[in-house]
Amino acid sequence: MAHSTKFEKETERETKNLIRCITGIEDEDDQNYQMALKFCWSNFRFHRFLDVDSHKVQRSISGIYEKLMIHSDLSKAESWRRLTEEFLSSPLPNTDGTKTDVHHSILSLLLLLSGSPSNTNFTERPRVKEAEKEDNFDWAKYLMEGEDIDNGPYPDTPVLHIWALHICFSTIMLFLNVMIISVIVIPVGEPDARAWLEQHVVTPYWVAHAPRFPHSLHLHSNLLNVWDQHLYNSDPLYLPEEKAFVTETQVIRETLWLLSGVKKHFIFQHHDGKVSVRNNVVVTHLTSNCLRSVLEHIAVYGQAVFRLQRFIDEVTGYSSEPSPPGSSSSHSSKKGSEPPFRTYQAFVWALYKYFTSFKEELTTIEKELICKDETVTLSGVLERLSPHLAQIKELHKVFCTGVAEVPPETPNVVRASHLLNTLYKAIIEYDSVGEASEQAVALLFSLWTETVRPYLEIVDEWIVHGHLFDPAKEFIIQRNKDVPVNHRDFWYATYTLYSVSETVENDEKLNDAASGSSGGDQGSSNRQLTMVSFLKPVLKQIIMAGKSMQLLKNLDCKEAEQSERSSRDAERKSLYTLFLESVQSRLCRPEDSPSDTVSEQQATKRSLIKMQSIVAQHLQIDDVHDPLLAINFARLYLEQSDFHERFSGGDFIVDRSSQSVTCQTFELTLRSCLYPHIERRYIECCGNLMKTLKKDYKLLEYLQAMRNYFLLEAGDTMYDFYTAIFDKVLEKESWQQLSFLNVQLQEAVGQRYPEDSSRLSIFLETIDPARKKQPVNNLDVLTLSYKVPWPVDIVISSECQKIYNQVFLLLLQIKWAKYSLDTLRFNDLTEATKKLEGGVAEEVTVKETINQQIHRMCLLRVKLMHFVNSLHNYIMTRILHSTGLEFQHQVQEAKDLDQLIKIHYRYLSTIHDRCLLREKVSFVKEAIMKVLNLVLIFSDRWQAGFGAWKIESIDKMESDFKNCHMFLVTILNKAVCRGSFPHLESLALSLMAGFEQC
Amino acid sequence: MASAANANMNAVRETMDVLLEISRLLNTGLDMESLSICVRLCEQGINPEALSSVIKELRKASDSLKTSENCTN
Repeated sequence: MAHSTKFEKETERETKNLIRCITGIEDEDDQNYQMALKFCWSNFRFHRFLDVDSHKVQRSISGIYEKLMIHSDLSKAESWRRLTEEFLSSPLPNTDGTKTDVHHSILSLLLLLSGSPSNTNFTERPRVKEAEKEDNFDWAKYLMEGEDIDNGPYPDTPVLHIWALHICFSTIMLFLNVMIISVIVIPVGEPDARAWLEQHVVTPYWVAHAPRFPHSLHLHSNLLNVWDQHLYNSDPLYLPEEKAFVTETQVIRETLWLLSGVKKHFIFQHHDGKVSVRNNVVVTHLTSNCLRSVLEHIAVYGQAVFRLQRFIDEVTGYSSEPSPPGSSSSHSSKKGSEPPFRTYQAFVWALYKYFTSFKEELTTIEKELICKDETVTLSGVLERLSPHLAQIKELHKVFCTGVAEVPPETPNVVRASHLLNTLYKAIIEYDSVGEASEQAVALLFSLWTETVRPYLEIVDEWIVHGHLFDPAKEFIIQRNKDVPVNHRDFWYATYTLYSVSETVENDEKLNDAASGSSGGDQGSSNRQLTMVSFLKPVLKQIIMAGKSMQLLKNLDCKEAEQSERSSRDAERKSLYTLFLESVQSRLCRPEDSPSDTVSEQQATKRSLIKMQSIVAQHLQIDDVHDPLLAINFARLYLEQSDFHERFSGGDFIVDRSSQSVTCQTFELTLRSCLYPHIERRYIECCGNLMKTLKKDYKLLEYLQAMRNYFLLEAGDTMYDFYTAIFDKVLEKESWQQLSFLNVQLQEAVGQRYPEDSSRLSIFLETIDPARKKQPVNNLDVLTLSYKVPWPVDIVISSECQKIYNQVFLLLLQIKWAKYSLDTLRFNDLTEATKKLEGGVAEEVTVKETINQQIHRMCLLRVKLMHFVNSLHNYIMTRILHSTGLEFQHQVQEAKDLDQLIKIHYRYLSTIHDRCLLREKVSFVKEAIMKVLNLVLIFSDRWQAGFGAWKIESIDKMESDFKNCHMFLVTILNKAVCRGSFPHLESLALSLMAGFEQC
Repeated sequence: MASAANANMNAVRETMDVLLEISRLLNTGLDMESLSICVRLCEQGINPEALSSVIKELRKASDSLKTSENCTN
């Protein structure tokens, strides 16, 4: 098994060599390379060809011979025969014997590859002669190559070398300067000069067939030659390659240049953003494989540096060379016309700062290398750079996931939040590892704090000045331009919150109507990681504060307040500064704490004693004398306060440098350093807005006005209005005239609330005739409207007014019923009897029936009155009044406008529900309406006087009322028994009482 | 022992030279490196017909790849 694996490995290696040789693809990760490899393997393993038949091969050989003869290519035919015979009788590297199957298979391969023999005829003719010749490769010279000392490496003048150097490495000025100055100082003509130059000037190793440099003859310095010799001796198929010899110093220097971002090298090559190692570069003291593996390791970092550098150049708009049009990325091409994308700029700035320090380190190493004071080896340099290299790897990883993998044409908001999220997640990830990754966390944290700067500045600008300044559209919340501030939709439709879905990588728009009110907590599971994670806990506060601030800015605040604010603004620290300061202080605090541990303990003891006495006093007040209990209480309190301190104050132990943060503290850091500032600002902004709205814009007064007119809390005023209508109805006059209604309303309101009279108006709506059948529905045409000025109309919107209006109509209907029952006079009936008495006095029986009827009417009237009064009481006191009190209380406590709007809506929906206006309980309302209707019919008949109705109609009214009443009592009782509607209890009870008396 | 091995080595080297000449005569387009790879593969028992078809295919593919690259440039 082991053999077969080894065998397979060899075959695989050879296959790879074959692919490389034929296609020229060097990179094994290349997609084409992988495809080719797969193709080869499948062909080698699963082919349908027969094994080689030696006779067939022989026949083909003689066939070709014949063909050549026919073409009178005698010399070629001769050499063909001779060569094949010679080959068949020669040994093969790993096969014993001659004329084996392997010989034949090789020949057959060549025959197969040869294609048509006619082609061979034409092209091969001049080579036939050469074929006879022996190979003229000078092996001896090759093998001696490492041994001889070239004493004339500089056939040209040194100045030319300098020029070559200059052309090749124009960017490495430091090195050049040293060289040029040195050359100038040493006069070339002197005999020492040449020796000096040989020591100090670099051989142009970058040109083809460069002269070799002198080096020691010691075995250690010639390891490559020794190894080559060994290979040549052990492997007959080994082919020596053309090699470019360099020294280790040159390798180190090129490594340093590569890492500092220089693009043109000899040892390292750039191909479309990929860095690879030149094939044939060798040093004399290492085998090429060994050197290659080390250099490839470096090339990976070089590539990372190169990509990061290119990104920096793209964003800053600096390009050292004109890049081909295809490779220029989308955001660099967009540059100029579009506003700068600040998040990327900040990220680049952070990267740039890192690279500056990294390059300083590289320069130090290079200076040491130039000084030659101590031995600098490649492994030594790599060792020294290893922490930096690890960081570069980290940066590159973050860059790849955060920036490079984002598809082009992605909107900036997605790019920015993706980058911030990537950094955030990386920090959290390393943070959880703990001490082991302290370096990485420190680096990423500094990167994050830089990158987050534009975001925090945008937030700051927004929540302090009420102006969302985001020209590049990178912030997760964006202003909808088409909604002006003084529009009633401002609060809902002004901002769009972008939520980036991690999985599908496309952005969804959530309209602010939802997001503004519920902010961060709209969490369906796939949106968990969506928006910029670090802002998520305070997103709602930010939105609220920002909107409030913008609104506040547009309200006419008092002058004094504004000037005060502007003077304060000069001294104000921005959110970002505050955040940095908090982080700084949080990181510095633990350093001084260990020194006062002893004193702290003493303080704890002292406070324990103090606390004990306090608790003891408290217990004494309650007549409890138990010192042990007091001590335990005291300890409990102390522990709690201690815990509180630890939680909020950031009691983390390890000492660290100013920028290093680790160990489960990142989120805590945010919680203690960033969120409180936003929170504070939120409370301030929203508090101000609420104050202004309540004080300067009389929000509470408007809410009261709504209740006054729509919920009839201003009883006397509204009484004047509706009784005028009811009287008109009573007199059977037409009341549905706009002018009449408005005049009545203005008269009623103008007396007591002159300021509201201009705002109130009444409209008539045409309603569908199907609903108009019942007399009680006549009132449905009325629509009361109250013009609410901006900005109060954000709270009291037209939707709210609609609900208010529904309640208003219901109240009006009840009032109408009540009024028409109240205004009935007994005279109307008694007069009729008197009339009867006067006419036919002798008919006693008739008289009795009349009295009976009148009596029944009176009874029915009382019953109806009881019902209507119960309903009226229930709605006016139990529902509207008590709910209104609750509402007023809540309004006082509302912290922000959103909350206020919510409270208002909740209040409206509550009264809407409790007035039984909901669709779900419409059957109850129907029943009530029926009774109210009955009341109207009843009063109509009553007023028509005795004789206008028949006995049957009284029966009908009685039974109708009874049915409705019974129905309502049953339904309400059920609801009350279930306990789901406790407020219905009073209505149910009073209706029941009325019912039992029947 | 060493000299015997050396002699063998030389013999093999000569074989390869002969083979290279044959390959040139047949205009297979193989150079020394690819030829030695092919010899090794044949020795490892890879079917010559399969090998030849693979080589042809690879040549074809890389040619088309290069032309397409040239076009884009």
